[in-house]
Order: sequence, then C-alpha cells, then structure tokens
Amino acid sequence: MRRALTGLIIPVIAGVAWEAAVRVGIGFSFGALAGTLLGMLTGASPLARRLLDPSVQALRAIPSIAWVPIFILWLGIFEMSKLALIALGVFFPIYLGTLSAIQDVDRKLIEVGRVFGLSRVGVMLRITWPAVLPTWIAALRSGLGLGFMFVVAAELMGASEGLGYLLVFGQQMGQADVILVAMIVFALLGKLSDALLVAVTAPLLRWQDTVRARL
Amino acid sequence: MTTLAIEGLSKTYADGTEALRDMHLFAHSGEIVALLGGSGCGKTTLLRLAAGLDEPSAGSIAIDGKAVTGTHAAISAVFQEPRLLPWLSVERNIGFGGRRIANGERRRRIDDLLQRTGLAGYGDRWPKDLSGGQQQRVAMARALIGRPGILLLDEPFSALDAFTRSSLHELVLALWQDLRPTILLVTHDVDEAVFLADRVIVMRPRPGRVHETMTITLPRPRNKLAAEHDITRRNVLRAIDRSLAGDRISATGGGAISPWV
Repeated sequence: MRRALTGLIIPVIAGVAWEAAVRVGIGFSFGALAGTLLGMLTGASPLARRLLDPSVQALRAIPSIAWVPIFILWLGIFEMSKLALIALGVFFPIYLGTLSAIQDVDRKLIEVGRVFGLSRVGVMLRITWPAVLPTWIAALRSGLGLGFMFVVAAELMGASEGLGYLLVFGQQMGQADVILVAMIVFALLGKLSDALLVAVTAPLLRWQDTVRARL
Repeated sequence: MTTLAIEGLSKTYADGTEALRDMHLFAHSGEIVALLGGSGCGKTTLLRLAAGLDEPSAGSIAIDGKAVTGTHAAISAVFQEPRLLPWLSVERNIGFGGRRIANGERRRRIDDLLQRTGLAGYGDRWPKDLSGGQQQRVAMARALIGRPGILLLDEPFSALDAFTRSSLHELVLALWQDLRPTILLVTHDVDEAVFLADRVIVMRPRPGRVHETMTITLPRPRNKLAAEHDITRRNVLRAIDRSLAGDRISATGGGAISPWV
C-alpha cells in the first residue's frame, strides 16, 4: 500500500514541479524582457526617466499580492493571471537593476567611445551594454528568485493543482510530509534554475576581476 | 599631416567656474606642444575641448584650417588612466581604436603595435591581468592604430612610477618619429615637458590662461642628463615662478591685484 502511494506520488510531484517551472520560465521571460527594455529606455533617455520612472516606482510600492484579485478579474482564474503575476514580480528588480546599472556606467569609458568615433547608439551597444552586463545578470538572478516566490503566490490563490497548491493541500490535510516535499522541490528547482542562469551567462563575465569569478 | 589651430577658446562651466580664458594656440604638423601648469590652470579643459568631449563657451578649433565641433576622426587621445574596456582582450582594445580600418590591415597593425609596445604575446589577455604601465601602453597603441593626425595626451604618465614613465617617454617618441602625429601633451612634470616637447606653454590658474610660451631647441634624440637639458629645465622653472608671482602679490596684498606692483 505504502509502496503504491510512493509510486503514485513521484509522477504527481514531478508533474506539478514541471508545471511550476514552465510557469516561472514563461512569466520570467516576459517580466525580464519588459524590465530590461524599460530599464534601458529610462536609463538612456533622461526625458523617458522623468516621465516613466516615478509611475513605475509608485506601482512598485503596491504589494504584488494586491494585484491578484484584479488579475483574476481581468485575465481569468486560469493560466494568464498566474503568468501575469509572476512577470510582474520579476519585472521590478530587473527594471531597477538595469536602470541603476546604466546610470552607474563609468563616464570615462563613455568618453573613450566618443573619442574613438562611436555614435550614440554605438556607445549604447559597445560601451554601456557590456558595462551593465554584470549588474543586469545579478538582477536576472534575483528576478528569477522572485519568480518562484510568485508562482507559489499564484498557485495558492484559487488553484486546485500545482506545487503551491500542494502546500495548501498539505496544511489542510495535516500532512507535514507533503508540505516538506513541496518545499524541497522548490529549493531544488530554484537552485537548479539559478545554476543554469549562472552557467549560461558565465562566458559573458569572464573578463571580470571579482571574487565571484573564482568561486 | 595635420595642424591644429585654437582661437580665442574659452570655457566657463555651468557653476560659473572660468576654466579657460581666451586661449590661442597653433600647433604645426608633427609638432609636440606641452601644456604645463598646476591644477586649475585649464590645461585638461583645453584638451577636453580639443577632443570634442566638452563644448567651448567661446572660440573655435580648426583642424587643417577647417573648423570642427565635437569629436573628430583625426583626433585621438590617451588619458591619465588607461581607460581600457575591461570586457575586451588586449588586442581587441587596441583594435577598438581602429574600427574603420579593413580587417587584414587592422590585424597587421595590432601585431605591429603589440610588438613595439613590448606586449607581444599579451594580445589575448584581459586588461585586468596587466600592470599599470602595460595598460597605458595598450592605451597608447589604441590611440595610434588609426594613425591620427592629432594625438592628445592628458597626463598619461603621471600615475606611473619613474622607471615605467621613462620607458613610456621613449615609446611615445619612437612612435611619434614614425607616425608624426601632432601631439598636445598636458603635464605638470617639467622634466617630461622639456624632454618631449618642441614648445612648452606655461599656463596660469584661475582663470586658466597662457602665461608664457617657450620653444625648446634641444636637438633630438635628447638626453635627460645633458647640461643643456638642465639649463632649459631651469628656464622653464623660472617661467613657472613668474607665472605664480601674480598670485603671491595678491596673497600678501589681501585683495585685488594692482597691475603696477
């Protein structure tokens, strides 16, 4: 009997874990893309920064969970509202990271680009972008972490399936083991995806003279 | 061959600081002009204006008789810090200065410059793996790969130790002998100015302006230990003393400078 249950639970766990990973993957992609693009825009153009940044900062002050009801009303109870919540959570750290990294680029290197004949776009692509890469990648990592936080939030609300739902289910059934399994799966997923991100971006940061580069 | 004509150049920054007042300078083709002075005398301001990094408040800059604004393909620069792009290897940093050159020719020039700067075999290193002197050599190679008509040097040796500085002086002269760029060198090192320049312009601070121009007639190759070098050096030091005299009077006079004192 116990064996049979164990046999059952592994495919179930694997299924919901996969589902959570896909959700985070999609939501993260959209949130990261939007955060990066908007951060680049406000970083590059003082006018865009003055127009848009205050509003973005105000939206950031809204606790992300507070978006859940409105997303459910607008986007329905199913997939879209969950993805939107994850994307929103991922968006802010990546937007902030990109913007502040662009503002922190060494003016002296920008001048090198100008002296050696780069256009405004050329400076953006050949000086600013490589210079912000390390901070941007760090922002991606914290964004990815938040992605997992928000997939739980999304699945806690109104879901009847998913890794987050297992947490509620375990609590309601008084089964700590289910909760713990779900938590361990989250830990594994988070660590794996972060390691994947680090591995994918490592070649971009080979030039860095940092402690992290040696770890 | 490229001449640089600066006429009535002035720069007042937004905060009201008058960094440079009514600067006139004509640099002949292939000439090395040293701008000598302490801090606040406008020498770096002048170089930034010439590089097109700042806009003058008044006056004009002309290259080969043609007025220019902003950066210019004929003008290249080495700064006080190497300012290498840390994400590019040494050879790609050098190549960055010659992006307009055809690939094969660029490759050839990079190898040539690596050789001449004593960095053969360092081409695929990262800038962080190089010493300060080596980094400044790379910056020099980057500035010269495009065969600029005018080379601006903004105290490029000041952060280096005496040995490294001396070897970089030799390097600059060797490269100058070959490529003959017109060089504008900003420095506060009298020895350096006398050793490298055809003409030394002593500047005065607050507001930055020209105090005195001296032609250095010492034959090349020059010897820092020769008696003539010492005499010229002392002449330049005297000029610097004279340039400071006005400030001293104002310091003891406790107010406006009287022109007849």
